[in-house]
Amino acid sequence: MTKTLLPAIITLLFGFNATAQDLPGYVPDSNFNKEQQLAEVIITANRSERKMGNVAVPVQLISQKTIRQTGSLRLQDILQEQTGLVIVNSSLGSALNGYPNPFGQGVQMLGLDPAYTLILIDGEPLIGRNGGILKLGRLGTGNIRQIEIVKGPSSSLYGSEAMAGVINIITQSPLKATAEVQIHRATNNTWGTGLSYGNRFNKTGIQLFINRYSSSGYDLDKTIYGKTVDPFREWNGQLKVAHDFSNKLQLLASLRQFDSKQNNDYQILWQNQPAVAKGYTKEKDQSAFVQLRWQVKPEHRFYFRTFYDHYRNNSFVNLDKTTTRFDETSFDQSILKPELQFESKHKTNNYVAGAGAYFEMIDASRYAGKRNLTTLYAFTQKEWSLLHDKFTLIAGGRIDKRSDFAAKISPRIAVAFKPGSKWKFTASSGWGFKAPDFRHLYLSFYNSQIGYSLIGAKELSSQLQQLQQQGLLQPGADINPYLKENDLKPETSFGSHIGAKFNGDKWNMEAGLFRNDIQNLIESFSLTFNRSNGQPIFSYHNIGKVYTRGVELNIKYRLVKTISFSAGYQFLDAKDKDVLKKIDEGKLYKRDLNTYVTSPVKHSDYFGLFNRSKHTANFKVEYNDGKTGWNIYARAVYRGQFGFTDLNGNNIADDPAEMVSGFWMTNFAVSKSFLHCFSTQCGVENLLNYTNPARLSNIAGRLFFINLNYSLANNNNKHKQHQK
Amino acid sequence: MKNKIIYAAAIIASVFAACSKDNTVVTPLPTTVKTKSITVNFSSATPFTFFSFKDTAVVANSDSATTKWDFALRLTTFLVNSNASGPGNAGVILQDALYDNVTAAPTSGYAYDTTSSQRAIKDGSWYDYNPATHAFVPKAGKTFIFKTADGHYAKMELLSVNYEPFTGPVPQRLIYNFRYTYQPNNDTKF
Repeated sequence: MTKTLLPAIITLLFGFNATAQDLPGYVPDSNFNKEQQLAEVIITANRSERKMGNVAVPVQLISQKTIRQTGSLRLQDILQEQTGLVIVNSSLGSALNGYPNPFGQGVQMLGLDPAYTLILIDGEPLIGRNGGILKLGRLGTGNIRQIEIVKGPSSSLYGSEAMAGVINIITQSPLKATAEVQIHRATNNTWGTGLSYGNRFNKTGIQLFINRYSSSGYDLDKTIYGKTVDPFREWNGQLKVAHDFSNKLQLLASLRQFDSKQNNDYQILWQNQPAVAKGYTKEKDQSAFVQLRWQVKPEHRFYFRTFYDHYRNNSFVNLDKTTTRFDETSFDQSILKPELQFESKHKTNNYVAGAGAYFEMIDASRYAGKRNLTTLYAFTQKEWSLLHDKFTLIAGGRIDKRSDFAAKISPRIAVAFKPGSKWKFTASSGWGFKAPDFRHLYLSFYNSQIGYSLIGAKELSSQLQQLQQQGLLQPGADINPYLKENDLKPETSFGSHIGAKFNGDKWNMEAGLFRNDIQNLIESFSLTFNRSNGQPIFSYHNIGKVYTRGVELNIKYRLVKTISFSAGYQFLDAKDKDVLKKIDEGKLYKRDLNTYVTSPVKHSDYFGLFNRSKHTANFKVEYNDGKTGWNIYARAVYRGQFGFTDLNGNNIADDPAEMVSGFWMTNFAVSKSFLHCFSTQCGVENLLNYTNPARLSNIAGRLFFINLNYSLANNNNKHKQHQK
Repeated sequence: MKNKIIYAAAIIASVFAACSKDNTVVTPLPTTVKTKSITVNFSSATPFTFFSFKDTAVVANSDSATTKWDFALRLTTFLVNSNASGPGNAGVILQDALYDNVTAAPTSGYAYDTTSSQRAIKDGSWYDYNPATHAFVPKAGKTFIFKTADGHYAKMELLSVNYEPFTGPVPQRLIYNFRYTYQPNNDTKF
């Protein structure tokens, strides 16, 4: 029914002429690769638009075309197919007995946990991290124009969190008249419906996107009560408005809303009897963004921006068929971020500088009251082009002063050398940092089921005194060592990258070497005494020192115009320096899990940090025929063996039983477009049906999907004329 | 996961069965390594499990105020039978050493349960808690050297701590599996 009705509806709604030719990226174009390369512009690397070929730091770009070719509506599916990006579970992990991980999945980059990658939408931060992880499922893919990934410490431009790098999701801009409807249907009763509309009225452009996504979830272990992933539905909406007051003054405003509801339905222990608890989790994220761009002179411009975001997460469960509240949590975070940026562009040098403030407020049931933090920051970066653009040199830095710790300076330098049109060599080094987050400072969490406490560093002193007064500490517990000011320092890193890139007619190749050294890692520790119930009390301190280093390779080969092959590989070595030292001293032991014989750990036993695979790889085959409208995209992504948990008594990954073996995710999609505006797509994800209920409950098993897409674009060049 | 625990328990049971045969040998002189597994309550509202090295057995709760036991366990809390915990003279040294390398017990330096908050074995000193799996994994290379309630010596090593299979979200009991050598004579050698 959609097939016959939709064109009519769309035409009625938007009054386009259906002979549109300039369709958005989805409809394949035989010259696409070449044009794409010429047109590829990236904003994240320098906070200012640059051609991909001129960028001196390691970047990856995922185009809208690639996103569409995968057929997936989930951002993590798209990111995991990129070399060096691994979708991982929170290290805080799952509950007992294979219950799902409540923290969701995030992106591991350069071997660093998800908490160390800054995620931006149109340059502004996404908030609402739960246990350090931003649920990627929160983002719809239907209106993404491109995803920009900058690897390596980027705190020199972006401040805290940008230690492993930055993922900037760029959404469609209100440039031209487009209209699009997407319908997605997949296994597990999954439905996705997307609508986007863009138009330009004289000096005003608008872009609207609405997306609904729902699923009945799935169950990997029928012997345990409840589903592995409970049913959910999500709404995503974005409205962008651009207005040109004059050639020199332009306004961009954007409103974004995300709204989701997921059932909670699991077994608990109530008065020593198993019982069922039911309820739901509601998430809401609303943001507003306003930017004025003032082109003072052709080479000078200012941006005035303000961003506001309000994220809420409320969750409860009642005893089944009663109104007895069993558990309830709330999390409310908001930020306000005014910023001023200046740019100047000359033939041989570019300059970017800016200053801003970051006001952050949090109020959550797991925190002791409402908390505020204020950060003031300023950044500057200069870029020189030397020897007729053969050399690019970048130097910059940023200073961040948050209310609770001393000012932090993060410099970065980068060079690029282009001996000809085909080769590029780059080298970059930078410092990164991650400020202690709210949970490290202010958490005040008591696990009512198990009975332990987790208390943030700043709360520890007052909470302990309170617990002692209430008689909730072990009698005679000595709290004095914890009463002094317990300030956490930011975690800091230094990272370097060298790379080489070759762009030929048939071959594209890219190789990189990276190394990151991280200090002052914040880890939890248990106090020397317990609660009166005998359960431990945990808090946080700066202790860890780790490094990650590796090699990254990407190769693409175009066999003929329509067929290309690509492959990517990352080797990663990520280790804890304190563990290496202990092994040197012979002070670290392992216990054989079968014979229970204990012996010293050897260097060859130590696999590295948990959750890191030494080897990850991907292979892709793409067939793209613009004439017939056929597009086939097949991908195989390998995640090699990684450490999951300690079993043999030394808290490191060094026994085969502690590992998850390597596995393949194989995805396939085929699409056909016709009549210049329709396309249908179908495919399968996780073709080999890999599952691992106990250790990777986020992998759902084989999924089939079908997509219908109707898109129109008005080609009357209004915007082009306007830009002149 | 569940299957694994049961499997582990089966191994433990069979190891124990094999060792208990040795018990029938009455000659007191050579010390032998014994392996034992005991079940320990998880909840702090429940009783401790008391153990005697000499008897290779769990001691009844009604005997908690006697010198019949050497150490007791609940969740991850150790008691030794002295001062605040019992009428015995039991003390302990938690040594960073391989079990086999501990060939003799020191005659001094033992820690006692001086008060209910100053216990000989500090919680958290002998295991790592894994928030991802909720496992309490005994640190490898730690040997407990005990002076028993009746003044003899024993060395002990924890081999595993597993959850007893359970339904629902809250565990009920933990299974501690350990090996130890008890010196029944007036001797410090193992």
